[in-house]
Amino acid sequence: MKKILVFLVLVVSVFSFSAPLVVKGSNTVLPIAQMWAEEMKKLNPSINITLEGAGSSTGISALFNNTADIANSSRWLKASEIEQMGKEKKLFMPIVVAYDGIAVVVNKSIKLDNISISTLKDIYTGKITTWNQIDPNLPKNRINVYSRNTASGTYETFSHFVLGSDKMSPSVRMVESTQFEADVVLRDSNAIAYMGIGYVDSNVKVLKVEGVMPSKTTVLDSTYIMSRPLYMFINATEGFPMTGPVKEYFSFATSKKGQELVEKAGFIAAYGN
Amino acid sequence: MNKREIKNNSKNVMVVCVACFSILILVMIFGFIIKESLPAISSEGFKLFSGMLWYPTHSEPEYGLAAMFIGSLLITLLTAVIVLPLGYIIAFFMYGYAMPWEKNIIKSSIDLLSGVPSVIIGSFLLVYVAPIFFKLGAWSRENILLGAVGLTILSLPYTASLMEEAMSSVDKSMKEGALALGATKFRAGFSVISKAAMPGLMNAVILTLNRIIGETMVVLMASGGAAIIPMSLWDPVRPLTAAIASEMGEVELGSIHYSSLFAAGLVLLTISFILTLISKKISRRSSK
Repeated sequence: MKKILVFLVLVVSVFSFSAPLVVKGSNTVLPIAQMWAEEMKKLNPSINITLEGAGSSTGISALFNNTADIANSSRWLKASEIEQMGKEKKLFMPIVVAYDGIAVVVNKSIKLDNISISTLKDIYTGKITTWNQIDPNLPKNRINVYSRNTASGTYETFSHFVLGSDKMSPSVRMVESTQFEADVVLRDSNAIAYMGIGYVDSNVKVLKVEGVMPSKTTVLDSTYIMSRPLYMFINATEGFPMTGPVKEYFSFATSKKGQELVEKAGFIAAYGN
Repeated sequence: MNKREIKNNSKNVMVVCVACFSILILVMIFGFIIKESLPAISSEGFKLFSGMLWYPTHSEPEYGLAAMFIGSLLITLLTAVIVLPLGYIIAFFMYGYAMPWEKNIIKSSIDLLSGVPSVIIGSFLLVYVAPIFFKLGAWSRENILLGAVGLTILSLPYTASLMEEAMSSVDKSMKEGALALGATKFRAGFSVISKAAMPGLMNAVILTLNRIIGETMVVLMASGGAAIIPMSLWDPVRPLTAAIASEMGEVELGSIHYSSLFAAGLVLLTISFILTLISKKISRRSSK
């Protein structure tokens, strides 16, 4: 009986809250959104946020059929989405919430400091297979190439910047997490991998890409090639929301505290730099 | 109808319902997987099963499951080559040579081993076994051999206890007869008992294969994740199970990619179904 009562109380308490704010989209942005949601809950316990990371495309299509209030995205709108907006007479407003840079990392024993995009492309498409093909002074060992799996937003961005329309070689190892990549690079002297700069630590060696070291400054001024803004889209067809949970979320995200959390999640704050 | 009958009947109905539920689940899983994999099969056709390249998220996508399917088969074969002889030797020892207390120790450690979660085996391999392989000349930390070692640890308890059961179910008179006729302990166990236990042993082999091919976590962690056909023991592989586990989380619902992951599941389910049927047939024939 007691259990049933507790359950009922729980059910009632869930439904007694106002309609939840549904945030969907990119997995890259998800850790940031999670931190925001947690912090907002602390400040205002009555707010009810539902988070779901299912890829940027899913978030934007959820915005179209009104199943989400906010769509996180690690990419800009596709032409087809802009067309659909015109057809349905809708306007989605993009807000840059953070910046992200992708670092190329190798084991510390590799005597290589700089890599060009074209070399990187040759490595990931399988044209270059040993280190001495990059630089004759490097050992004649096979390069162990690691990539995030295709589900990852980092993978998408990396292929966009490096591969273009080419395909990654099938012999590239697809792994489940960035932490795994970091471990491998630490232990395997022939490994190469890429990761969001938030994940880089002192155990691995970060390569310059086209002569530029990824850092807060070089990502923000876009001199580092593999950098990108992260967005959230809100439906502004009826005008910008002046009250309500969407406005509250937006204000928190772009606030000083919100942007500090962005840095804490390993990304680069878009405002207040 | 009196109260007692009502009570009995209602209990009967309940038991039948629960029993039917398990059948229903099986039928539903099959139906669901076939339904979800149909779009991929109809749009890709035979290419889905014969194509070597797997680029599901590329702008010109290719959905070839063949390389991963071959990867699944090869890693299963390699594991079988290691685990079946080992399992047989353990079973043979437990049956013919072990003292009761030795048998107890082996049995209980096997039971304990079979309870180790696969994710722990995976981590153990990566942290402790991979560096050893690295010293032995492996060019890549994760490879088909590492995956096979993990699968061996995982399936050895299963194989050994199934084989031991098969051998002990042979009538004792066979062993005693053989020994009385002057056969050595080894000959009695190897030629006489193993032959009599053949259907049970075959059954153990098939169930082991079934278990290996469906295992996910160990291969996801330890076998590398490159969808190529391995040419050496140090090459990485990406079995079907690993691909499903890795990509299902983020796939766009209803897309061809989503559907082709289900097609991969269908392939696995079919293999396991066939293996189970064979095993049933063997045990039915032997019980006649």
